[in-house]
Amino acid sequence: MSGDEINPAAVAQAVEDVQGDDRWMSQHTRFVQECKDAEPEVLFIGDSMVQLMQQYEIWRELFSPLHALNFGIGGDTTCNVLWRLQNGELDNIRPMVTVVWVGTNNHEHSAEQVAGGILAIAQLLTSRLPKTKVVVLGLLARGDGPNPLREKNAAVNGFLRSWLPRLGQAQFLDVGAGFVHSDGTISTRDMFDFLHLTAAGYRAIAKPLSDLLLQILDETPEEKRASLV
Amino acid sequence: MSSGDSNPAATPTPCVDIQGDGRWMSLHNHFVSNSKDKEPDVLFVGDSLVQLLHQFEVWRELFSPLHALNFGVGGDETQHVLWRLSNGELAHISPKVVVLWVGTHNHGHTAEQICGGIMAIVQLIKDKLPKAYTLVLGVLPRGKMPNPLRERNAQVNKLVKDAVSSLPHASLLNVDPGFVHSDGSISHQDLYDFLHLTPQGYQAVCQPLHAHLKGLLEKQAEN
Repeated sequence: MSGDEINPAAVAQAVEDVQGDDRWMSQHTRFVQECKDAEPEVLFIGDSMVQLMQQYEIWRELFSPLHALNFGIGGDTTCNVLWRLQNGELDNIRPMVTVVWVGTNNHEHSAEQVAGGILAIAQLLTSRLPKTKVVVLGLLARGDGPNPLREKNAAVNGFLRSWLPRLGQAQFLDVGAGFVHSDGTISTRDMFDFLHLTAAGYRAIAKPLSDLLLQILDETPEEKRASLV
Repeated sequence: MSSGDSNPAATPTPCVDIQGDGRWMSLHNHFVSNSKDKEPDVLFVGDSLVQLLHQFEVWRELFSPLHALNFGVGGDETQHVLWRLSNGELAHISPKVVVLWVGTHNHGHTAEQICGGIMAIVQLIKDKLPKAYTLVLGVLPRGKMPNPLRERNAQVNKLVKDAVSSLPHASLLNVDPGFVHSDGSISHQDLYDFLHLTPQGYQAVCQPLHAHLKGLLEKQAEN
């Protein structure tokens, strides 16, 4: 990607209140407040894929015990996540791992731009929290049958696979295996609207993710944990 | 309310696929074909508040035993639900009760227009399922603090309540258990994004709803 052009997917941008009840800002404000009170070891940030996970039992089973905070907001793009991270959602916390899951809502941007936006988020995290590991989750397939958004999301994942290893602290985790059946369809048993995960869908992705998180947390020795605070 | 042409909220309108994966139409087709071998006593239809209900334990606890089907689609406005019900989602089933919960996403429409949209759906259900009872659920308050959408939603509920008062086959049920606290705030423990219900929020809404539904079903059985 040319260094001269600005990537619109990497430009921080707040969500404007067009509906009239200011919910996006209310959610952001609540997260900033949570940073003052909590001492998370794991931070999840992203869009509705992150946000909805906290409403299912699986969160309480696998991620609450890891002292995880959930800063997901439905509809968010990479731009919105960047803005939130730059405007208070990283203040006063020192998570050992940050899980990033965003990009499927970046409808105005190309796959390369979206990947660039996600990379910018990973770069921001490693610069603000130098000792933190960043786990970027791959974008899932979406839609009932094959469609351009599946190709786009797969292309985003392709870029991330090659770019992320260049950031020493960041890694890519693909949790999308198994959702697309041999006939090209996705089942509503996994994604109730062919985009958002059901309890069963989350259970399938939570296992590899929690295994990786436990591995990372175990690798961080006690002395190092203390110095992160 | 006059004919559908003058009220966009009461004019059957499919969702146009702007994102590129055709999910809205896929879901509609899924509901139509899914209904072919089911015999539900209760049909839930509406927007994301209906759709998300299907994902949590509370559905299996309270509504599966009532033989309920869920045709909720996130983001749907009244005119979208009207289109779906006019284009096959009622073609293969004869539920005794239809639970309708829609209106909060009708951005750009007035409370009167939204009421008109809801009443158009009530009329459509009556035309297609003459023996069914329609239970309209009141639109919930939203946003962390007081705001114009709360006022709009409250006005919709008031107008709908008046409009159904003379109808033997429909009524409005207020399912807000008191989400707005004395300081005007709504808690994220009830509405996680100040719009959508948490499992805890659903329990508070659904317990009285379930009791009311059981009463309606018993009454329908007697008739």
